[in-house]
Amino acid sequence: MKIKKGFVIRKVGDAHVVVPVGELSKTFHGMINLNETGAFLWKFFTAEHSVNEAVAALCAEYEVDEERARIDAEKFAEVLTKNSFIE
Amino acid sequence: MIYEIAGLRVEIANKHAYTTKFCGAYLSENQDLPAHLTASVTDAELQEEREASPGFSDGYIENICLYRSICRQIPTMRRFLLHASILECNGKAYAFLGRSGTGKSTHTKLWLRYVENTRVLNGDKPILEYCDGKFYAHGTPWQGKENWGYRGKAELCGLCFLEQAKVNEISKMSIGETSSRVFTQVLLPQDEENVLATLDLLDKLVESVPAYLLKCDISEDAVKCSFERLTGEAYAPKMKSED
Repeated sequence: MKIKKGFVIRKVGDAHVVVPVGELSKTFHGMINLNETGAFLWKFFTAEHSVNEAVAALCAEYEVDEERARIDAEKFAEVLTKNSFIE
Repeated sequence: MIYEIAGLRVEIANKHAYTTKFCGAYLSENQDLPAHLTASVTDAELQEEREASPGFSDGYIENICLYRSICRQIPTMRRFLLHASILECNGKAYAFLGRSGTGKSTHTKLWLRYVENTRVLNGDKPILEYCDGKFYAHGTPWQGKENWGYRGKAELCGLCFLEQAKVNEISKMSIGETSSRVFTQVLLPQDEENVLATLDLLDKLVESVPAYLLKCDISEDAVKCSFERLTGEAYAPKMKSED
């Protein structure tokens, strides 16, 4: 899966914020607040990747076991899909 | 015509006379020098605004759209629009923020009544500028329905979010809390470069300007509460004769 074009992500204060730009800003009003892991996964899915690849990336980046990483990655992918953030 | 707004030379391409009069005090004395940016409005934007604010004159509608056009272009010039009431007290600026109806203008009026050397720099839509690690609030012609403000700037020394309450109390806000609240009071541009610039400015704002949450009523005690925390000075009311 891959996040569609038209979002930017930036650190503001101690959170990571995603906002729409260009054409998307006319239809999607609002912003998304992400924590550290959320920001990592958001950036990871801006390129085409599978959930399995995200699990491996999380395990490599953070000191987490595969089970925990899978829960996070699957949950994140579900949120992305549910909100139509996927291409 | 070219106007000087928030330290920038702004060319305004208006069709209606409304804005010419509205911005009169900000007219540049030097019309021959180049402008930093040009504010213009498309017919589609006018139509959209007309639908959002029915019953207003075309000049008024165009005037709103022109300010939006300016504010969407300035983040890459280290400036952005903040929806707030800015009080200037002894050369320092304090921003009061909150959703419409939370009492920004009421609290502003209380400061004017009770605190010595206080003026409104902009009652509603100031532009903030980031320069050398500090933020400055600028007066602009667009200053809310009470039309409070003047052409000038002052260093921004505090953000104060307002909430109505029966007991007055003020507390320091965390950076996370501040950024999520401040977000709702900012005009986000549409093009990527200016959106990113806005986010970077907000990051600097929440890291460098202290922010407080003021729960307040409409008494003098509410002013004492915000004044002492924001300025760090002891509250001493104005002489009664000015009342």
